[in-house]
Amino acid sequence: MTAAALPADELPDAVAQLLSRVVLRDTSAFQRLYQLVASRLLAVAVRVVQDRALAEDVLQEVFVHLWNRPQTGAPGQALSLSWLCVVTRNRAIDALRKRRPETPLHWRDADGEEQVHDAAAEGGSPLELLLAEEDGSRLGRCMGQIDSEPRSALLLVYYEGLTHAELAQRLARPLGTVKAWMRRSLARLRDCMESCA
Amino acid sequence: MTWNQNPRLVDLLAGGYALGTLQGGARRRFEKLLARRPDLAEAVARWNERMAPALLALPPQAPAPATWHAIEQRLGFPAPGALVPWWKRLLQPAPAGALALGLMVGVLLPSLWQAQHGGPDAPASTQLPESYVGVLGLADGRPGLIVSSLRQGRTVDIKRVAAVPVPAGQVLYLWSLDVAGKASPVAPLPQGAFVHLQLGAPSETVFAKAVELAVSVEPEGSSPAMPSSAYVYRGLCGKLWRVP
Repeated sequence: MTAAALPADELPDAVAQLLSRVVLRDTSAFQRLYQLVASRLLAVAVRVVQDRALAEDVLQEVFVHLWNRPQTGAPGQALSLSWLCVVTRNRAIDALRKRRPETPLHWRDADGEEQVHDAAAEGGSPLELLLAEEDGSRLGRCMGQIDSEPRSALLLVYYEGLTHAELAQRLARPLGTVKAWMRRSLARLRDCMESCA
Repeated sequence: MTWNQNPRLVDLLAGGYALGTLQGGARRRFEKLLARRPDLAEAVARWNERMAPALLALPPQAPAPATWHAIEQRLGFPAPGALVPWWKRLLQPAPAGALALGLMVGVLLPSLWQAQHGGPDAPASTQLPESYVGVLGLADGRPGLIVSSLRQGRTVDIKRVAAVPVPAGQVLYLWSLDVAGKASPVAPLPQGAFVHLQLGAPSETVFAKAVELAVSVEPEGSSPAMPSSAYVYRGLCGKLWRVP
């Protein structure tokens, strides 16, 4: 299925309209929705699972679930492009958790080299990407106000669904330290974003 | 004061829940509360909205064509070029239950009318006047709303078959959808099982392009240009007159 272009500022409204039709079992709206957002959702899944084939499976699951049970899982949240991204992220994290026992986050390869399950983001750091996006600039600015290490911790949690314990292991920091980072980072982020609103 | 009465703490826990760091028993307790506390659900939704730009900023990656084909196959969509029965093509956009009711109304109503007012040879005056008739279904396919209006009339009759919850401060709002699915606002619906809506123009003007009718939930007193929430009712809009 070929992608169909739409100006970025028209995308959220178009997606919201299509989602409302998908709820009512409109197959043409479902197909159009896939054309519009599949590449964005795949990017989310790839970022989380860092495995193209698994990410395509996640994308498939998201759309099958969307068609079969379009109104579940969004208490208090409007059906929107943001919601679809969050659903994809959560499904990707579930897929990663199922696979994790066979793929450690941090290991030594056959040559004794230390390896970490963390591919570099394409096209710049998450913060750079956010600052470049009009919609993401507020989040990017507020992220920029958080100290470097806690910010990395927050992004690792968000992009890869790490628990506190996994985060502490990954960053080689005490559990209490990463918990405090997360608590303070969330509070700073919320205060900053509310003051910008 | 317990934690769940402290708005700042609730918001931070909602953030931990949305990001996934709230784990184990704390997560389960939070989820139990989430099901019955709209303020918690709203706090989680706020965090999701705050963080979503971090996902939307990622460079898009085109999926393999096989992914869409796999989705089509799993959902039983017809393969491209496959022959779809004419009646399926006709009925595709509307929920099955609503259509069943629509067919029932279409078939039974004239018969009932004739039974009351005379046989098949009764004079033309016993036939239904030219009207718009919409049978709108709920999201799960059950029939939900019957909407009708005389072609040249300015009153719309609305019969509620199945109610949907409407939060305080919100109202049901009627939309007319054209062939491309574009929604045009009609008016907010009065509350009640059988209500009437007065139009500012004849039905033929208001519903000229209507292929479907739909109802969303909108803030009371608002004049939305497009629906701000998912449709709660939707169905075909029939034009009950002979086209020359």
